[in-house]
Amino acid sequence: VNRVAVIIAVAYSIVSVVAIVFMLVVARSTRNRRRPEPESEHDLQRLRESEKAWFVVLVVLLAVLLFATIFFTPYGRTAPKNAQVERIKAVQFAWLVPGKPLKAGTAVEFVLTSADVNHGFAVYTAAGKLLFMVQVMPEQTQKYVYTFRHPGTYTILCLEFCGVGHSKMQGELKVVA
Amino acid sequence: VNLRGGPAGEPLEPGPELDRARLLTLRYVIASTVILGAAGILGVIMRDSQAGVDRVPDAWFYAIMTAHGLGAFVGWAAFAVMGFSYWVLAQVGFPVSPLGDRLAKAAWWAMVVGVAGVVITCLVFKFGGSWVFLYPIAFHSAGEWGRWTSFFFNGSVLLAGVSILLWCGSILVTVLGPALHAVSTNVFNRIGVALGFGYLAPQRFATNPRPVPYPVIPLTVIALDMIVATIPLAVLLVEMMIQSLTPSVSVDPLLAKNVLWFFGHPVVYLLLFPAVAMAYHLVPRLAGRPLVAGNVITIGWVIAVTANVIIWAHHIYVDYPEGTPQAAINTAMQPLTFSVTIVSALSLYSLFFTIYRSNYEWSAAGTAVYLALVGWLLAGLSGLVNATIYFDVVVHNTLWVVGHFHQMALLNIGLVIFAGIYAWLPDLIGKPLYSDTMGRCHIWLTFLLGTTNSALWIWQGLHGAPRRFAVLPHRYDEVTQAGVPLAIGLALAQLLFVWNMVQTFRGKGVDRVPAPSASRRMLAIAVVAGIALSGASFGWAAGHKVGSTTTSAATTAPATTTTAGGGGGGNAAAGKALFASSGCSGCHTLAAAGASGTVGPNLDQKKPSYAVILDRVANGKGVMPPYKGQLTPQQIRDVAAYVRSVEGKG
Repeated sequence: VNRVAVIIAVAYSIVSVVAIVFMLVVARSTRNRRRPEPESEHDLQRLRESEKAWFVVLVVLLAVLLFATIFFTPYGRTAPKNAQVERIKAVQFAWLVPGKPLKAGTAVEFVLTSADVNHGFAVYTAAGKLLFMVQVMPEQTQKYVYTFRHPGTYTILCLEFCGVGHSKMQGELKVVA
Repeated sequence: VNLRGGPAGEPLEPGPELDRARLLTLRYVIASTVILGAAGILGVIMRDSQAGVDRVPDAWFYAIMTAHGLGAFVGWAAFAVMGFSYWVLAQVGFPVSPLGDRLAKAAWWAMVVGVAGVVITCLVFKFGGSWVFLYPIAFHSAGEWGRWTSFFFNGSVLLAGVSILLWCGSILVTVLGPALHAVSTNVFNRIGVALGFGYLAPQRFATNPRPVPYPVIPLTVIALDMIVATIPLAVLLVEMMIQSLTPSVSVDPLLAKNVLWFFGHPVVYLLLFPAVAMAYHLVPRLAGRPLVAGNVITIGWVIAVTANVIIWAHHIYVDYPEGTPQAAINTAMQPLTFSVTIVSALSLYSLFFTIYRSNYEWSAAGTAVYLALVGWLLAGLSGLVNATIYFDVVVHNTLWVVGHFHQMALLNIGLVIFAGIYAWLPDLIGKPLYSDTMGRCHIWLTFLLGTTNSALWIWQGLHGAPRRFAVLPHRYDEVTQAGVPLAIGLALAQLLFVWNMVQTFRGKGVDRVPAPSASRRMLAIAVVAGIALSGASFGWAAGHKVGSTTTSAATTAPATTTTAGGGGGGNAAAGKALFASSGCSGCHTLAAAGASGTVGPNLDQKKPSYAVILDRVANGKGVMPPYKGQLTPQQIRDVAAYVRSVEGKG
């Protein structure tokens, strides 16, 4: 599994569990027969006021998530001088790969184009781990820079729906030492 | 100014105005529930097909997928909450005017005809461009559908768009109409009042003397936003209708993609915001106290009305072609998208603390709306992952997204819709609900099975499983198959709802409370059954290794020899279907199959031998991908027999 996917799984699980516990507490609080009377107006007013505190906490949490992640976008990466340029064209329903093996350890600049519709260029290891993805559009050139660390055969799947042969649109990248 | 009921939040008096709202809501809810039935069945067929239980050909899978997506999302969820909006407004004193009524009826007809058009173009004429029909896929059908199908599909979606515009008109006419006329003659002032500015500036925007009731705010927000969001898409749809018949016309694909999502994001809130209005109205009544909301929630809605129409690009984080500003646009949209979550987080705070320590009514409606809040929270959190570029690039267009929006559409909006039906149907038709206990069983089963179903997709998505694959790579098979009993269970649970509705309409309901012990026992059985089925599916997925479906297909396919094929062991008739469903026509010309692709060799001219076809299909050559992983040896022989039998004969 992709490393970022692990981070997502852990973060989503922890936050979801906290949320579910909170919701069980709220649900449970309505069953308390020893306190049949609704809250006093004073208590409700206090809860209304606390919403402002929640607003502040929320903004802080979102700001933390924003600054923790926004510097790690895939945008604006440029290829080093020694990069291997790999021009791949997507057509319904195949990846037109030049076929010359790529070298591990040296950056690859993928130059991606599409002959017809939108496609998604997604590269997986032989074991099925997703390494990266980027979309390929007609009338545009999409670039992506990636360095394969290990030699081997990598699989390309299409990750944007492109028509009847979408799931069969698979390709291979050979990477040698 | 003392207004009749109206902005103070009192329901309309019984009479023609209340009847108008009642009949409108009823008409929307009945039509949308029928669409749910059809869309749900399509969903189960897809789940079964992906798992290999009953495989449908790829072309039909994608046609079903297109009809299911548009049907369930727009034809059911959006359509239903659009209808409930009239009832909510009537309950807080906003009558639908005769003009609003005409607009609402026109919107109903446009939606019904539009959805019927989508269903026919997909399920009869095999349009399979997916529910986002990403430009220019309608014109690259790989021989699956023709230009008139594309024309009518785009026209049908356009009708749904027109329906949304008409609905926005009817809502604005209602919220800015008679109830607020006495407050101000200035329409901009009235918009401010309806957006809840009275909570922030009571001197200027309050009415009678309180600000508007909370449910009015989200309805006003979405009615304004959907006009802004729908018009560009409508223009694109008209262009696509023209292009269907006049191929020389075209538009920039990147622009089209942005226009699609400029609509595609707000349309999600066409489901969510009216559902929030329903929750704002239902929860205080079920909890027996006013909504615990401070002024700050109005700030959330001001952010929402603006941000909603400027955050579309979070759907295209993985598009940033050279020489375009798309990367900068995408980056800017992460903080903007975060800002729109504020209104959800504040609303959830208000709704949960309205329930906290109240004497909350755990009826079918109360249970449904509470579990909908749970679904909303889980969906919001998984959505936040997609809103974050760093996270999205590893789950984009994987089954994670499918898990996320089923949490949102089914477990949040869907449960609010059921809550609305259980709470208000007795008032809408003047007959008591048949069985509240049956309703609670239905809600619990739907929640438990639906949540587990989504959890499987989320799990697969984290493992890189692509969405919109008729056939997934085999490593995902076990988890896919675990979804089958959940989908079937989910469908069966809806029979409880159907039976409850049938009996309610027949007037079989009586205003009685069943013995609490019997009611509790039934509910316990439903909950235990739901948990057991969910747990069993999960356990099975984790522990049970099943043979790949390809292998079983290979052993059962009859090895018929065709006479025309000139080669052994292939069934040309089966091969014909495979030729179409495998997308061969995308690259090859074969006149007999209606294929005119130019990427690969022209089969009519090359007339390859049986052995050559077998080898090329199995192993690929050059750009031709190998199919041996996706087709069984028998299927490859079938394709070869078919091509041999018709090549050069077109």
